[in-house]
Amino acid sequence: MGDEWVEQDLGRMKMKITRRKFTVGAAAASSVPLFGLAKPAIAQSEPIRIGWLAAMTGASSAPAIGFDRGVQYAAAAINAAGGVKGRKIEILTRDTQGDPTKAVNATQEMISQLKVHAIWGPTNSGESLAVTPIMARSNMPNIHPCVVTSLIDTKKYPNAFRTAPSLGQWDDAVRGYCLNVLKTKKVAVIGDTTGFGSAAANFSVDAFKKDGAEVVYAANIDYNQPDMMPDMLRAKNAGAEAIVVWSTSTGMDARLFNTRAAMKWDVPFVGHPSMSSGDVANLIEKRENWNKVYVIGYRSCSFDAAGKLPPRSQEFVDNIKDKVKLSDSLLWWVAGGVDAVNLIAKAIEATGTSSSEDIIKYWNSLTKYPGYFGNYTFSPDQHNGYPTEEVVMSEASSAKDGAFSLAPGYKA
Amino acid sequence: MIASILASGLAVGAVYALIGVTYNTMFSASRVISFTAGMLGMLGGVFGSLFILRLGLPIVVGFALTMACCAVVGVITEFIAVRPVLKSLDQHLYVLSTLALSIMIQQLTATEWSTEPQRFPRLLDVGAGILDEKFWLPIVACGVVMGALEFLYRHTLVGKAFLAIAEDNFAARALGLPERNLRIASYALAGMIGAFAGFAGGELLLAFVANGSLLNFYGFVPVALGGLGNHRGAVVAGLALGIYQQAANFIVGGIFASVAVFALFIVLLLAVPQGLFGAPTVRRV
Amino acid sequence: MSGKSDALPQVSVDGGRERTRNTLVSTVPFIAVFAIALAVPFLTNDYWVLIATRTAIYWLLVGALNLVVGFAGQLAIGYVAILTLGAYVTTILAAGNVLPPVPPFVALGIAGVAGSVFGVIIGLPALRLRTFYFAITTFGFATIVTQVALAWQSVTGGGIGLPGPEFPAPFNSRLGFYYFCLACAALCTWMTANVAHSRFGRALIAIRDAEVAAEAAGISKARLLITVFIFTGAAAAVAGGLFASLQTYITPDAFTFDLSILFFISILIGGRGSILGPMLGTIILTLLPEIASPLATWSTFLYACLLLAVVLAVPGGIAALLDFKNRKPLLSNRAIVPRASAITEVLQSVQTRETLILRELVLSFGGVRAVDGVDLEVLPGEIHGLIGPNGSGKTTILNVISGYYRPEAGSVRLGDNALEQRSTVVRAASGIARTFQTPRIVGEATVLQNVLIGGTIRGRANFIETLLSLARHRQDEDMAHAEGLLALHAVGLRELADVRADRLQHSELRFMEIARALMGRPSILLLDEPAAGLSADEIKRLGQLVKAISRCGTAILVVEHHADLIFDICDRVTVLNLGQVLAKGTPTEIRVHKEVVSAYLGG
Repeated sequence: MGDEWVEQDLGRMKMKITRRKFTVGAAAASSVPLFGLAKPAIAQSEPIRIGWLAAMTGASSAPAIGFDRGVQYAAAAINAAGGVKGRKIEILTRDTQGDPTKAVNATQEMISQLKVHAIWGPTNSGESLAVTPIMARSNMPNIHPCVVTSLIDTKKYPNAFRTAPSLGQWDDAVRGYCLNVLKTKKVAVIGDTTGFGSAAANFSVDAFKKDGAEVVYAANIDYNQPDMMPDMLRAKNAGAEAIVVWSTSTGMDARLFNTRAAMKWDVPFVGHPSMSSGDVANLIEKRENWNKVYVIGYRSCSFDAAGKLPPRSQEFVDNIKDKVKLSDSLLWWVAGGVDAVNLIAKAIEATGTSSSEDIIKYWNSLTKYPGYFGNYTFSPDQHNGYPTEEVVMSEASSAKDGAFSLAPGYKA
Repeated sequence: MIASILASGLAVGAVYALIGVTYNTMFSASRVISFTAGMLGMLGGVFGSLFILRLGLPIVVGFALTMACCAVVGVITEFIAVRPVLKSLDQHLYVLSTLALSIMIQQLTATEWSTEPQRFPRLLDVGAGILDEKFWLPIVACGVVMGALEFLYRHTLVGKAFLAIAEDNFAARALGLPERNLRIASYALAGMIGAFAGFAGGELLLAFVANGSLLNFYGFVPVALGGLGNHRGAVVAGLALGIYQQAANFIVGGIFASVAVFALFIVLLLAVPQGLFGAPTVRRV
Repeated sequence: MSGKSDALPQVSVDGGRERTRNTLVSTVPFIAVFAIALAVPFLTNDYWVLIATRTAIYWLLVGALNLVVGFAGQLAIGYVAILTLGAYVTTILAAGNVLPPVPPFVALGIAGVAGSVFGVIIGLPALRLRTFYFAITTFGFATIVTQVALAWQSVTGGGIGLPGPEFPAPFNSRLGFYYFCLACAALCTWMTANVAHSRFGRALIAIRDAEVAAEAAGISKARLLITVFIFTGAAAAVAGGLFASLQTYITPDAFTFDLSILFFISILIGGRGSILGPMLGTIILTLLPEIASPLATWSTFLYACLLLAVVLAVPGGIAALLDFKNRKPLLSNRAIVPRASAITEVLQSVQTRETLILRELVLSFGGVRAVDGVDLEVLPGEIHGLIGPNGSGKTTILNVISGYYRPEAGSVRLGDNALEQRSTVVRAASGIARTFQTPRIVGEATVLQNVLIGGTIRGRANFIETLLSLARHRQDEDMAHAEGLLALHAVGLRELADVRADRLQHSELRFMEIARALMGRPSILLLDEPAAGLSADEIKRLGQLVKAISRCGTAILVVEHHADLIFDICDRVTVLNLGQVLAKGTPTEIRVHKEVVSAYLGG
């Protein structure tokens, strides 16, 4: 897929990755023949096969595309440095198109046909809900960034680990910002009609109510809906002081912003990181429409008042700057992809084997593992690895190389 | 609130009406109801965005190119999906061939262009709020198209020829009218009407590949209710549909709004299969 | 052709043996496919077992949908709606969201019932709407179901969805579940094959391709379609329940419109009126995206290309490609040699001998009086000719008798009983059969199948007995086939019994229509210009055939332009002009009638 645009220069890694098309992988894609008659290989030099369930096309493709950039970069970097104990990393990508059916097929293919050692992804909660039990059945080590709470269950799915915050952690940050910083008492909660959007909106509404705030308007909007005026008007008439948005659709986000501007209403939007994606810049009518939008951010990807990223992140950005495009994506997506590959590689390096049990055991032992996206801690009873204190709120329009400045009033 | 419903309702209704006119134009020329009508509307938006935003062409040039490209798509429809199946109209093969072509158009656009809605250029930069150009442009477009069609049918020879082949195919051919060329011209015209609809509605609906199936359905409702081949019926029904849909959006919210529209459509259609303004067809035995 | 005696061949025996051989041959591909399917787990890994399970589930739905789309010709594009419904009903009942948890198999059964009901609801518009309109309404239904699933959060979990049902051991293992789905698919295949080779299957394709003739043969479109919708809805819903279990978790976004397209296109690529074709189509379309990953992204585009290719180049689909029988060239100098003596055997039990009586019939179209006060009588065993210039109302009168039009005034009676107005379908049961001005036949079916359509209402087995191939169904088929071959022998087309009807010459089609009419054991036979397009020889033989039929007691009304034929065979003739009776009498009288000569016959 895509044109030649992977130029591999073995001395200096040079890879241009553009947005629309996706690569087949730093190494070749599946070279395993149709019916799984694998060539016998000596374990030491057998490549490390990582399955990547990517929703590269479809409604919520923006995150997957970002993650993919990180994944490809990390694999290439590790291979250029000699691989993991001499073993090369092979990324086997399957575009699930956001369709749970394709995700199920691809997952089983990765497990039984491609015989991968670990799986990163999927990136959509809808897909993840369907494939998690399948991976559990084969005890396939799995890292994913999907937020729906029920996806992580150390009893049912001892093989599944989450490297992104859970929905609860996201919601805490958003709610905290609304209630404590913006000091609003009446909120509107808008979700889109996808699995994630509905789950997040419901969760949010319940949590706000529990905290004593008034949810004056709650709605699930089809992200195709061209006109956001009816919903915005209803929210305004109900007296909303802040609007919480849980949607992965940048088009929907942009239309909400444009509508707010048309209404000359300066209510703040708070919520999902997609509202800060570079995409949005192309879709809004005026740059000012993007003001007063505060989204989930991460300490590792936020610059301080002086405009500086945390040292490790800065180093990371400097390294990848000419190899990976950041301006139309988010740094945390790229970093997340890099961390996933590194976590798998590190596990194999530390244990010396690529067996599932060993990889899982290794992950369970991690305490404050220093990734680029976050410092992960896992244990046999806790597979939500992202530390709550690293979740922050960002100013959506402040993107620079995919990182953001902290939202106003946010304690650094 | 009401103002908002009316503005967006009439606007989106005008787009639906024009797609209905597109359906009707193709039907009049060939007795075929083509699944590509909605796709033409979608392409109007996509091409507009492609030419003007991505390639940076001036608006007028972009508009002309969009119309031209969609006219070509219309002609391709005639060549590939319509002419070959004309002899077996009662076998309904045209439903399949136009369905196949429309899926191909949609998938091609989705993969090559984008699956997400893309921005559509601001055309005239006139108006704000309720009177923003994105609301009255489609309505103006609808008026222009209807006016142009009236002029075409009444005062030009070509237009009268179109009417002739719509009315009675065999008689027209017997009179020596070049039926094939007229049909190709009709499809090109339909392509342009669809493009105009998508272009004028671009700021409202954005350049979005999913608009294709949306417009296929919502553009067909005016045809079904207004009577097949009836342009005026399509306009009235289209505008009414737009207002009904936006009102439902406002009152019940997004999800139930589409249920409301579908349910009403199915009920009305079952009650009056030939449409509210159409004539009941007598079966020829 | 001449040396052959008029003696009746041992039709039933030959026909029966040939039929058994054909049946056995046609099952071979199915057995091969299912044998391969059974072996899949042992030849490959879990991944291919998953794909095979998915294919089996899809085929369960598509196989049943085949009856609606492929056989009945109703373009139900949005059938994913019922898959969705079945999946959610099974899941909700098994999970115990609303009511206490139900054992999964029971839940599956209840889902089937729900699917039947919904299948009828989705299908009802087909009875009222034109093809494209119906297609769009099914599309609408598909969207409604998804939206409801999204919105009804308390029950369906909304966007978050629900965990799918798990079946009890041994069906909860990969292998066990796979074999269960395979068994369901095999059962569905068998059932739909039974329907295909029954009067129901033939009636479905009659509705699809020759609706007017189907009505005249007594086939009630509404009843038949509703029966089929019930079956198809149940199968689709059960497939949905199995789908939910395979996915282990269902969300509304798993039920994409692309799935509907896959189901629909599988049938059309496979070929209408076939079971094997759509089965192969389903297998191919499900496997295609798995063979190569670029195909996965472009899969729907590819399906559409295939569909277009089929429509334009190979309208019969895979089935046509595999139809080797019909590639054999036909004899070019064929002659139609009816055997008049065989007619008695065919019509041995004409139920009733009725007189057809029309009194003061009036019918207008727009402002024109097409039939203006016509009196007509046809006695049992009489051949009554109806002649007149074009536009005099002849075919209209036939259509009134058939029930397509309702007269404004006057009556149509059979003996003492008035015929129910405006209801074509009951005519066949009353013993009326007819042929048409332009042959209305099912081109894609064989000559024999076309003829058997005429005897549809005389079958005894009901739909369930057919599905399960019970004794009465098999008796029906045996008897029907024997009678059909006999009828073909009688009209002189026996050798062409297994040939596709659209390969026949025009004159052969006319005789075929007569054979079809005879299958109904009619007491009244209406012939609409049966001699049009026939050679002089054939007209003579037609005349002998009609005379033989009348000798069995059938009353025959013949509309014709061939004056010679009329005067040769008719007992009485009525002449129409401008909707009114111009003259009545014996052929001799009419031939010299002054007004008739000037208005019509010429000097």
